[in-house]
Amino acid sequence: MGVLNTPSRLRWWTFSIVVAAAALTAATSLLMSHTQDQVRTIGAEAAPQAATASDLYFALADLDAQVARLVLIAGAEEHSGSQIDALSTYRERSRQIDADLERALSTATTDADRAIVRDLLGDLAVYRQWAWQALAVEWEQPEPRAGQLPPAARGYYAQATNVLHFDLLPGAKRLRDASQARLDRAYDEQRATERVGIALIVLLGGLLVALLVLFQRWLSGRFRRRLNPALLTATLITAGLVIWASAVLAVEGQRLRAAHRDSFAPYLELSHAQAVSYDAAADTSRYLLSGNLPQYREDFTRKSECLVGGGACGVTTGLDARVRERWLGYRRDHERILTLADDGRTAAAIDALTGIRRGEAAFDFYYYDVAISGDATGHKQAFEASFADAEGLLAGWSVLPVAVLGAVMLLVPAGVWRRMAEYR
Amino acid sequence: MRGGKAMANRSVALAAAVVAALAGCGAGPAAPAPVADSIRCAAGTLTGQGSSAQANAVNIWIRNYQAACPEAAIEYASVGSGAGLRAFISGAGDFAGTDAALPAADQPGADARCGGGPAIHLPMVVGPIVLAYNVAGVSGLRLSPATIARIFTGAASTWDDAAIAADNPGVVLPPTRISTVHRSDSSGTTNSFTSFLAATAGGAWTSGSGSTWRAKGGQARQGNGGVAAAVRRTEGAIGYLEWSYAQVNNLNTAVVRNGDGEFVEVGNQAAGTAVGTATVTGAGGDLRLDVDYTTAEPGAYPLVLVTYEVVCARGTRAGALDLLKGFLAYTSSEAGQRAVARLGYAPLPERIRARVAGTVDTLG
Repeated sequence: MGVLNTPSRLRWWTFSIVVAAAALTAATSLLMSHTQDQVRTIGAEAAPQAATASDLYFALADLDAQVARLVLIAGAEEHSGSQIDALSTYRERSRQIDADLERALSTATTDADRAIVRDLLGDLAVYRQWAWQALAVEWEQPEPRAGQLPPAARGYYAQATNVLHFDLLPGAKRLRDASQARLDRAYDEQRATERVGIALIVLLGGLLVALLVLFQRWLSGRFRRRLNPALLTATLITAGLVIWASAVLAVEGQRLRAAHRDSFAPYLELSHAQAVSYDAAADTSRYLLSGNLPQYREDFTRKSECLVGGGACGVTTGLDARVRERWLGYRRDHERILTLADDGRTAAAIDALTGIRRGEAAFDFYYYDVAISGDATGHKQAFEASFADAEGLLAGWSVLPVAVLGAVMLLVPAGVWRRMAEYR
Repeated sequence: MRGGKAMANRSVALAAAVVAALAGCGAGPAAPAPVADSIRCAAGTLTGQGSSAQANAVNIWIRNYQAACPEAAIEYASVGSGAGLRAFISGAGDFAGTDAALPAADQPGADARCGGGPAIHLPMVVGPIVLAYNVAGVSGLRLSPATIARIFTGAASTWDDAAIAADNPGVVLPPTRISTVHRSDSSGTTNSFTSFLAATAGGAWTSGSGSTWRAKGGQARQGNGGVAAAVRRTEGAIGYLEWSYAQVNNLNTAVVRNGDGEFVEVGNQAAGTAVGTATVTGAGGDLRLDVDYTTAEPGAYPLVLVTYEVVCARGTRAGALDLLKGFLAYTSSEAGQRAVARLGYAPLPERIRARVAGTVDTLG
């Protein structure tokens, strides 16, 4: 510097500042663009995949619940309403499962995930084969009566529910775990980008501001002018951009994590709990159609305790008070139904299972389901709103730095133009 | 600035895509049908009895209403239309479900039960009736009323019968024997089916109409489920049954010719179009309908069953009035009608639904 004359120093300062501004422009634009891609990955890929996997687990659990109900009452005219409802729900779940599997296969990112989906497709075909054989045997009965199953129907259903519990649900769980791990990774990567981004922007932005301030001081000393308006404007714009960009990255990250923590994670938990509760409710039917096998009593108790007290069934701390109260209502129905069955009053037990009066199982389970579904839907909608809100913060940020710092790069030569003219 | 605007637009589009992706991915268990918005809650107990044809719909409504209104307790006994009306006239229950309007001879008794205020009919449930068939190699079967009559009276014995072939030009029909399936029990479905044929099949149908019909041949089965099961497992079978049973059993259903000469496939819109041409024959709030099975309305599927709730226009017991009005306001609402569509019931046409809802508000 000591050997340079004033025009050369002016050019050197100008060139250094423009290079620093260009570096900040490139870094900010690329970081913002990369963050947008990561957010897109979370919102358009990872979160929907996790939701699809969770939905698949639920739909499989309910599919078997409907089959259990159908096997129990198949062909019995007095339960035609329940049959229509069960068959209708079976068709809906069947389509839901097919759609989920198709979506899971088309969005799978690893060979391991694709293998899980293919296994599920094969197992589902086997499940449907056993389930429909059970129903076909019952429909062939001259006068089918609820709860009075031909042994073959019981045998075929046992095969079906074994496929569900030993193959389908574990496969769906693996898919769900993989998708949730991917979602967690996507959040971790976004968090890392946010930290690196803020550090880089502050570093490069601080350097640019420092260069602008030092240039201002050098100009003041050399040309005896207190302030260069163009450089001052450039300094303020740069400082503002650095603060704004850092804040956007930090706030956007906080909102994304809050959306996951407060909305999406609870939604996934409730979705899982709902699947467990449907499976537990199906244990009531399974107990009756199996001729009072104690394992279904124990299965129900284990699942119910988990729903009430928390654990591996999804809700780590148990259902909230309102939903739990309604679940306990169903549990009381379940216990009464099992008592009736144990007393040999199977027909009365089936009436209590399919009845829609308050205090009867079909109504009380629906009453519970309305509550837990409402909560789950609320969390899902809150996540969608929060996510869109967080994402909106990034709108325009891949070009905004170019525009703002482009102005800085123009202001600096404009600010020294007259000084340079003095040496021409 | 243009670039910034474009980015903003892209961002909005992305946000929309994210929301759509989540919403459309079947994200989470299907929530039970939302019910709370259109329900006006009331406390108390309410009982009704009658038509089994509408029992599935009424039970769904009761479940939804009670889930939204913890202080309400509603019961409906599926005892058949005749028994339901008799019980209502004798003072039991707060409403009766029926597949057919009160006979003129019973109207005075029903009015008296209401303390002089007339007993009125509120059409509430529309159930399309279909002809489900099981014929190898045949899909999209078209049948005119006269051909349906030929089939069910035994005049047509094989599927390649000339009348069936005339309805299905260009279709190769097999010489399989026709096996008809009808109801062994009394039912509104049979009443609508025979009324339809009596009105539209001309000389091909001489059996009149009624809720029981003893066919000379074919299989007699109890309930819609029994008919569906027989059709499902019998090659060459055809039976009449409620649409919902054909849907859930994945049975092919015939396309039926209406009074306009148009062959129409069953559907909510098509059934609603047919009911929309019905004439309201009651006076004041009495909305009994005269369904025109010969309707020439384009797109109308003419084989429908309309069932009613019979209630007191004035004279419902004080303890049940608010609940009766709240419950029927829900059943006659758009949400209530939608709630039972998945069971194979067609929503009431808006013109009639609005009149029913208006009448419910005036009950006293």
